[in-house]
Parts: sequence; C-alpha cells; structure tokens
Amino acid sequence: MPQLNPEFFVSQLFWLAVFFSFLLIFLWRVSLPRISLVLEKRQRKIDENLSSAKMLQEQAQEIESNINNKISKAKQDADEKIKKAISSLQSDVSTKLSTLDEELEIKISNSEKEILKSKESQMKNIDNEIANITKITVSKITNLSISESEIEQAIKTRKGLLS
Amino acid sequence: MAAKDSPLKQFEIDTISNIEIGNYNLSFTNSSFAMLLTVLIITLFLTLTVNTRSIIPTRMQLISELMYNFIAQLLNDTVGDNGKKYFPFVFSLFMFVLIGNMVGMIPYQFTFTSHIIVTFALAAVVFIGVTILGFINHGIKFFSLFVIPGVPFYMHPLLIPIEVISYLSRPISLSVRLFANMLAGHTLLKVFAGFVVSMPFFTGVFPLAFIVALTGLEILIAFLQAYVFAILTCLYINDAYHLH
Repeated sequence: MPQLNPEFFVSQLFWLAVFFSFLLIFLWRVSLPRISLVLEKRQRKIDENLSSAKMLQEQAQEIESNINNKISKAKQDADEKIKKAISSLQSDVSTKLSTLDEELEIKISNSEKEILKSKESQMKNIDNEIANITKITVSKITNLSISESEIEQAIKTRKGLLS
Repeated sequence: MAAKDSPLKQFEIDTISNIEIGNYNLSFTNSSFAMLLTVLIITLFLTLTVNTRSIIPTRMQLISELMYNFIAQLLNDTVGDNGKKYFPFVFSLFMFVLIGNMVGMIPYQFTFTSHIIVTFALAAVVFIGVTILGFINHGIKFFSLFVIPGVPFYMHPLLIPIEVISYLSRPISLSVRLFANMLAGHTLLKVFAGFVVSMPFFTGVFPLAFIVALTGLEILIAFLQAYVFAILTCLYINDAYHLH
C-alpha cells in the first residue's frame, strides 16, 4: 500500500503545510472578508428597506386614520346640518300655516259678512219685486187699485206667518 | 494481477520535480500538485466570484455565499458565538477537504485525501489546537472533561480511562474515517474499471454502468466526508469551551 510508504511522508507534510497555511491565510485575509462584506451590505440594505417599509406603513396608517376621522366628522356635520334644516323648515311651515289660517279666517269672516249684506239687500229687492208683482197682478185681475202701504202690510203679515 | 494494474497503483506518489533540503526529501509530487490545484481552485473561485461585490448576487457569487453561510451556520449551531474566531480555520479545512476530494474525482488526478499522512496531519492540527484551546479556556480543569457528571463514583475508575482513550483516539478516528472512505471508494472504482477491460464482448457495459453510479456516490461521499470533518472539528472546539 503506497500510503504506508514513508518515503514521501516529509514531502507531503511539507507541501500540505505550505498549501494549507497559504489557503488559510488567503481565505482569512482576502476571500472571507469580501464575502462577509457583501452579506453585511445586503443585510443592511434589507434592514433599511424593512425599516423604511415600516415607516411608510405607519404613515399610511396615520393618513388612513386621518381620513377616517375626517369622514366621521363630515358625517356628523352633515347630520347636524340636516337636523337643523329639518327643524327650521318645520318651524317655517308651522308659522306659515298659522298665518295662512289667520288670513283665511279673516277672509272667511269678511266674505260671510258680504254674503249677509248682499242677502239682505237681495231680500229687500225681493220684497219690492213681490210688492210690484202683487200690485200688477191684483190690478190686472180685479181692477182694484190697492195702495202700496196695504200691500206692504199684507206681505209683512205673510212673512210673519211663514216665519 | 500484475503490479502495474493493481487498484492501489493510483495511490502511488510520483515525483514531478525533485527537491531535497538537508536530508529531507521535499520533492514536488503529484500529491503536491493536487494540493496546489485544490488551493488554486478555492482561492480563485472565492475571489473572482465575489469580485463584483454586488448586493444581488450572480449565480457563481451565490455559490460562494452559500458555502460561507453553510459553514457559518454549522459553526454557529455547534459552538455558538465563541465559534466566530475559528470560522476561517473551519472554512479552510472544509473547503480544502471538499475540493481535495472533488479534485480526486477527476480521472487520472491524484487524491491527496486518500493518504493517511495528509488526513492525519489535518486531524492532528485540529486535535492539538483544540487541546491547547481547552487548557487556555479552563486550565487544569480541562481534565474534568474526562469525568462524566451524574455517574456513581465507583464507576469512575472504569469510565475515566475510557474517556481518555476516546479523547486520544479522536485524531485517529477523524483521519482514518476520511482516508478509508477515499481509499475504499477509489479502489472500488479501479477494481470495476479492471472488470470493464477484462470482461468479454459487451458484458463490460455492466461494470461500466456500475462505475457511473459509483462516481455519483463518490461525489456524495466527497461532500459528506468534508462535512463530517468540519462538523467534528466544530464539536471538538465546542468541547474546549463547554466541558459538559
């Protein structure tokens, strides 16, 4: 077995020591710091991005809550305004209705009075007409001339009987 | 089977350039060349892929980062915060063994991790380093590692020697595990390759298919053994910090 031949033991140990120590020192001083630098740089970048993302998220949440506050406030304002408008309209309507009622009552009473007046005047006219008609019919039928006072008397008695 | 066709022929060391200093033979061999190749692959890959240092990694950069994170995670899981100091060492060890095994999977390429002297040297570095670390951290109390808490006192005479032996056998188990896996895998590949040549007609296709499957398995083992080597190193470092 060539492995147990001590002829090249020293040579192998020597070159192993040379190459392995070179490898160790080279990796330790050159290669590994480079890799760790890259990894750290990446980690830093990731951390930065994460923290900025977190910050942005917080800002977004703040903005969202602001918007929500504003919306609820606006809703409250609108509710109040609507209530106010409704109540003012109601009071307006009631006052207008009451004034209208009053006006109507005045008008009704006025027209009632007028109606009464015209009724009375009409009644008077009717009396006169009745007297005339009576005079004419009596004169046509009987040739008797009746004085107006007599006729009036008769009408009055008739009216008294009717009423 | 003739000596030149032996499945163990692949483990023989050939001198590329003969160097002798004093009485020592420090020849640059095919084993040394495989180590050089391994170190070059690791350093060039890890340096060039991360050259752009881009935050959004390219595919190759991602591989480097994955390896980095893999070992960093492993060390963090087993040792914790204390382990950060040993990251370059564990990472180098893992990459050296992993790429050394992978380089060995290239046909005609030498596998230096199949030599017990190499794996033993690596394991010895780990063992000696961890022992020194334990004494630095705990002083003489480091010996209490051998005393298992919660055991009846009369069991200690039996258990303490067992613990000491298991501690001392750590470098052996660590090195032999890697060495034996590589030796067995490559020998098996060669044995079946011999079948492909020696079997008549088209029947050589069957061992060939087996070699293809075995190559996949060997690549898995190459990774697995590097991982085991690294995780055991991490566990030993952890023992040097937390006695029980």
